Amino acid sequence: MDKHTLFYAMFIPSLILFLLGMGFRIGLYLQGTVKGAENATSWQKLWVLLRRGWRGFWKRPIWYLQITITDVLFHRKLYGQSFYRWLAHSFLVFGFVATFIVDMIKGLTTGYLVEWSHSLPFLSFAHAFETGAIRPFLDFFLEFFSFLILVGCVMALIRRFILRPPQLKTEEEDITSLCFILFLELSGFFIEGYRIAHPEVVANRVYMANFTPPSANNWLSFGGYSISIFLRGVTINPDFLWYFHVIPSLLFFIYIPHSKLLHLFTSSVTVIGDRMREREKQQLMDYKKS
Amino acid sequence: MKLSRLTPRQILEIDACTRCGECLRYCPIYIEREEEAINPRGKIQAIKRFIRSQYGIWAKIFGPKKLSEDQLKKFSEMVYRCTLCGECGMVCPVSIHSKELWIGLREVLVELGYYPKEFDTLKKNVLTEHNISGLDNEGRIEWLEAMGDLPEHRYQKEKAEVIYFVGCVASYFPMVHKIPQGMVHIMRRAQVDFALLGGAEWCCGFPLIGAGMRKEAEEMMAHNLEVVRKKGAHTAIFTCPSCFHTWKEEYHSEINLFHFTQFLLSLIQEGKISFKEERVKVTYHDPCDLGRASGLYDPPRAILRAMPGVELVEMKDHGPYCKCCGGGGNLEMIDPELSAALAREKIKQIQETGAEVVVTSCQQCIRTIMTTARRMKIPIKALNLTELVLKHMK
Repeated sequence: MDKHTLFYAMFIPSLILFLLGMGFRIGLYLQGTVKGAENATSWQKLWVLLRRGWRGFWKRPIWYLQITITDVLFHRKLYGQSFYRWLAHSFLVFGFVATFIVDMIKGLTTGYLVEWSHSLPFLSFAHAFETGAIRPFLDFFLEFFSFLILVGCVMALIRRFILRPPQLKTEEEDITSLCFILFLELSGFFIEGYRIAHPEVVANRVYMANFTPPSANNWLSFGGYSISIFLRGVTINPDFLWYFHVIPSLLFFIYIPHSKLLHLFTSSVTVIGDRMREREKQQLMDYKKS
Repeated sequence: MKLSRLTPRQILEIDACTRCGECLRYCPIYIEREEEAINPRGKIQAIKRFIRSQYGIWAKIFGPKKLSEDQLKKFSEMVYRCTLCGECGMVCPVSIHSKELWIGLREVLVELGYYPKEFDTLKKNVLTEHNISGLDNEGRIEWLEAMGDLPEHRYQKEKAEVIYFVGCVASYFPMVHKIPQGMVHIMRRAQVDFALLGGAEWCCGFPLIGAGMRKEAEEMMAHNLEVVRKKGAHTAIFTCPSCFHTWKEEYHSEINLFHFTQFLLSLIQEGKISFKEERVKVTYHDPCDLGRASGLYDPPRAILRAMPGVELVEMKDHGPYCKCCGGGGNLEMIDPELSAALAREKIKQIQETGAEVVVTSCQQCIRTIMTTARRMKIPIKALNLTELVLKHMK
């Protein structure tokens, strides 16, 4: 089967399940009463809230972007409470966001644009992402940001199981989430190591996790490169390796709406909503003072 | 269990809780009892389990599980064992507005009929007599009788620019009558044109809102707003932080609202109040509804700084981190022992400062602290800021 077809045959159902999960959660939130739309149906409530959010955003888009960066992505409040927690959390959040962006760039350019460039010549710039000047940066940053996630995950595990602050309570959900992240990161580094150690796998294009030919700058993928030293004499079915990483990744994706990882979305809403309220209160006080 | 008593944001907040436990380090109830069931995290986890059993995927497929009476009773105990001090929400890393959430959950429980029965008396008193004590509402200004040299109108004028909203506790509990009396003295000496509402003043609605009976509080709010407007007042002053906070958050009026600490500070700045020097070492207790709920930490401290000879020593936990005295959230009605335990902790912190007097800006805090101190035979002195100002005024 074509590599794209195989991937999308798994990804699209996963995306549908993820969206259904998110829809289920949103449907639950809409059971609540919206001020000013007390008798509305769930769809009407959703419309009212989206419209309010949209209008609110365009009243001060810069402020919203600033809050999203400082208070959501870089969690300013947590920084004031515990530097250790803030660092671990920032590594995880920033690592995930950055890895996702770099991975999307890499996937789009090397997986699609290069192929399309054969019939659409203006897309030939994409070759720079595959074998040209940009490729080493992609390799390095993908590795670096994934490494940040790994460090964040290990820090969280140390805090939870070794430092054990008294207020922390570990439940199955916490262990499942951390194990998922740890597994995805370690398996990712392992696969990268195997790819570097076995260039013939990529050359034969049986190793579907990587759409690109072997990089000339393998050492830039510092994590995978270190692992590759130990994998040169080891032979594993590359298809198995791919499924070994991709299937848990998709399961993780489906699991998000039903796990504590949902807070990626929900806490973003609560934090932005809170700062908005604080700002409105402050404006009202300033107005009354004046 | 219907979720319509909550807002979409509140239901979403339940999912936003990561169980990090930051709130536990600050929750006075948890510090005292160390029970997971009555701490903020425990409450959120319990409601999450309820929601799952009623609205989760399995509930959608196999139908919702019936909630047992025992489960609901236990949950009610969890939700009502709280002073609504709001410290958990203030420190929450994901900014869950927990105080509003607890009130929302109380509304859900009231709808289900699972709330402490003591609240039926409270509800009856407020709805029939329009005050929390259950006494005749015309007796609201009996504390005036003890004041000599009253003008003929006894401050119940037809029209006035400023209304002094006294509140139920200061009106009906003799232990704190000195607060409205002091406030009247100060305003008279500062030549403020003000009026009292007398029997026309009704409970502000705060105790009912805190009990989860917001609907019943609406009648109180509408009435109070109407009588203040009829007087032609543009300003209302409050000595009770809870009345002040309720007016500010719930009444949505055009009237300028001031807690007395803000009002007195402006009188000091205008030179209408000046002080004589008198040496005294004090500590200041921030009432929850004035500090965390209304963000007023500076005005009372600025007044203390303006008084020559007054030395302010802060408690270990002060300002936004000031611990509740135990008098909030109607806790005293439900679990007096727990409320007293919090007051004991507060007294300990007061004593650690070595201050001669603990000053606060709330009648309920004075009542809670002094009642416990007397029971424990601890000779501490608690004064409302109005009393201290009056004592030091030239």
